[in-house]
Amino acid sequence: MIAVNYLGAAALFCIGLWAVLTRRNLVKIVMGLSLMESATYLLIVSMGYRKGGTAPVLLEPPEGRTVESLVHGPVADPVLQNFCLTAIIIGVAVTGVFLAVVVRVAQHYRSLDADEIRAMRG
Amino acid sequence: MTVPPPPRRRVAAAVLVAGTAVCLAVAFIDLPREGADLPGIARDAMIQALPEWHHTEVVSTLVYGTRGFDTLGETFLLLAAVVGVVVVCRGREHRRVFLQEERLGRREQEEARGPAGERSRRTRHPRTEHAEEIEQGRAGGGDGERGIGARGPVSEAAMTVVVRTGARAVLPLLTVAGAFLLLSPWAPGGGFPAGAVLSGVVLLTYAAFGYRAVRRLVRPGLLEAVEMAGAAAIIVLGFLGLVLEGSFLANWLGLGTPHTVHAGGILQVFSASEVLEVSTGLLIVVFSLLAMEREWTEEDEGGGDAERDGREEDVR
Repeated sequence: MIAVNYLGAAALFCIGLWAVLTRRNLVKIVMGLSLMESATYLLIVSMGYRKGGTAPVLLEPPEGRTVESLVHGPVADPVLQNFCLTAIIIGVAVTGVFLAVVVRVAQHYRSLDADEIRAMRG
Repeated sequence: MTVPPPPRRRVAAAVLVAGTAVCLAVAFIDLPREGADLPGIARDAMIQALPEWHHTEVVSTLVYGTRGFDTLGETFLLLAAVVGVVVVCRGREHRRVFLQEERLGRREQEEARGPAGERSRRTRHPRTEHAEEIEQGRAGGGDGERGIGARGPVSEAAMTVVVRTGARAVLPLLTVAGAFLLLSPWAPGGGFPAGAVLSGVVLLTYAAFGYRAVRRLVRPGLLEAVEMAGAAAIIVLGFLGLVLEGSFLANWLGLGTPHTVHAGGILQVFSASEVLEVSTGLLIVVFSLLAMEREWTEEDEGGGDAERDGREEDVR
């Protein structure tokens, strides 16, 4: 059933992409980018899920399992958890950069409408 | 916003989004499902965690040990983002040598204001009127001393007693949770989530009790120094590994006893440096955004467009 999560991640990514492509309000575009980021988190964490698995901690495994058996038995994928962990922090900081730029654009052009910001067209 | 986007844009976007959806769906069908075996790299990480690092928490051994070099890159990506925010949020400042932004900015303002200089009233954006009242109250200080939380729209109005009491109850728990995430040998992730939680502690204090409550901590001089100290500590840690053990970020400390705070050698030092880096980084980002100066450009006759854009239209 984890395929539902995969499809959810794909849907979330597409919603974000749709927002980036069709919205003209810069804040909404940043929200779309954040949605696309969240889709990657959902995908990565879902890929690490194992049915009936335990956390990748080598301490006090569940009833009837030894620490050694964790390696072979169902256990969540630690590598993907690691990716997700760092991605979330970086995502927050990058969203901060986007928002700071949006505020400056709004102050400079007195508009948040991407179509009205024409100096970029060269 | 005011005018709906042209239909061709929606059509193009629909085609692109549909194509992306199909590509993603096709790619995701083949992904390993919940019943699959762990990939080899994950199994290796599980096998190596205890013998190589004496650490029971595999995610931390990956973040700060096996993938330490990647984490170094990610840390400096975070640092670059923080520096980007600080640079973008910075107001015009007094400079003698380099860019002379202040002088250039003033000239630009005057050009935009036009020869008559009559439109000074219209330079005010309606949304900033309230904020400007605050600013005028504080006017007269040295411009060079602007910084995080210094002159921004920071309202010190306290929250209701319900919020304040709730914050008082939650803050100690959150602080302990942050410390636990950092120090415990079985909490995943070490410094990254701990730093996020600890910066949340400061932000919650700020939200509930106003800037006055965090004024001593949230100063650019302090936060930026701690941020850079965290980054420097990671670099020093890596180079000491290179010098002492022959490879960058190799473990050069005693590995310690498993299941204790000391377990993991340089893992814990890396993780502690990461706490400094992440917590101060997030605080700098948030407070820089809060403290941004309101430097609205002049509104021109056409209404809404910036002066540069307006000039382009004049040429046309």
